[in-house]
Amino acid sequence: MNSGLKGILNSTTIADRLLLFILILLSSSGVVFVKEILPKGRTVQIEADSLPVYRLPIDEEKTVSVKGPHGNTIVEIKNHKVRIIESPCPNKLCIQQGWIESGAVVCLPNRVVVIIGDIDSKDRKVVDAVT
Amino acid sequence: MQSHDKYRIALLSAYALALHGFEGILPTPIPWLRLGLANIITLTTLLLYGFRPAIMVTLIRVILASLFTGTFLGPAFILSLGGGVTSTLAMGLILSLMPELFGPVGLSLIGALFHNIAQLLLAYVIFIQRIEAILLISPIIILIGTLTGSVNGIISEILIKNLKNTEKHLEYKSNH
Repeated sequence: MNSGLKGILNSTTIADRLLLFILILLSSSGVVFVKEILPKGRTVQIEADSLPVYRLPIDEEKTVSVKGPHGNTIVEIKNHKVRIIESPCPNKLCIQQGWIESGAVVCLPNRVVVIIGDIDSKDRKVVDAVT
Repeated sequence: MQSHDKYRIALLSAYALALHGFEGILPTPIPWLRLGLANIITLTTLLLYGFRPAIMVTLIRVILASLFTGTFLGPAFILSLGGGVTSTLAMGLILSLMPELFGPVGLSLIGALFHNIAQLLLAYVIFIQRIEAILLISPIIILIGTLTGSVNGIISEILIKNLKNTEKHLEYKSNH
């Protein structure tokens, strides 16, 4: 009669060991792959006159026009970056800021704010509370 | 059902409940992480006495534990019931279809896997409804379940060996 840990290991069947191996392989590669496949969870939020107008995923190429007091500000999202391409404001500081990957671009005269942020905290809380 | 079996189920349910309660007070690094110690009893019952006692022990354990902690019919109860019943069904099915293929460790792994799959599906259907969130945590949960499941399988194996020895010893004594 086998005893001790070695005995236990010897008494496992080949199917047992194969199953353990497959499960560890699949789940640990799953941990890596799922993170790669899924969107980074970052959104671009565009506010005009301090009201949110757009909320867009950062991994989708898109150009949108936002109406401010002076006219339309055009925001471009490309390659996980955001910039303002056109603005009716006098000094064009927002356009000079160029591409941003994080943080925000603000056009004060036209009251347009572009913020890059995580998926909003409300959704996160729901996941944490249940899981 | 003979009264002999009833006593056995009652005793095994009590063991399962005790383990369930014990792991509830153990501090874990992640709040939803559970070791699944009660599955040791479910698996041992399944292998020694068959499927019906095993599913009864599971149902008694889940219902009584939720009554004791005040979560009966709540979200935690639904997750616990779904996971417990699915894993017992999966282990029972595999054991009856392929009795020789898996030992306690393999069955415990199957139990842990189906417990987690059932809970993730339930969490998706009832609570979260965000497939990205479920997909993101699924591999992590299944990986942890595989590790705890194999440990539980080893413990079950030791338990079954010892119980069989004791019963043989008792039979020998009563026959002579």
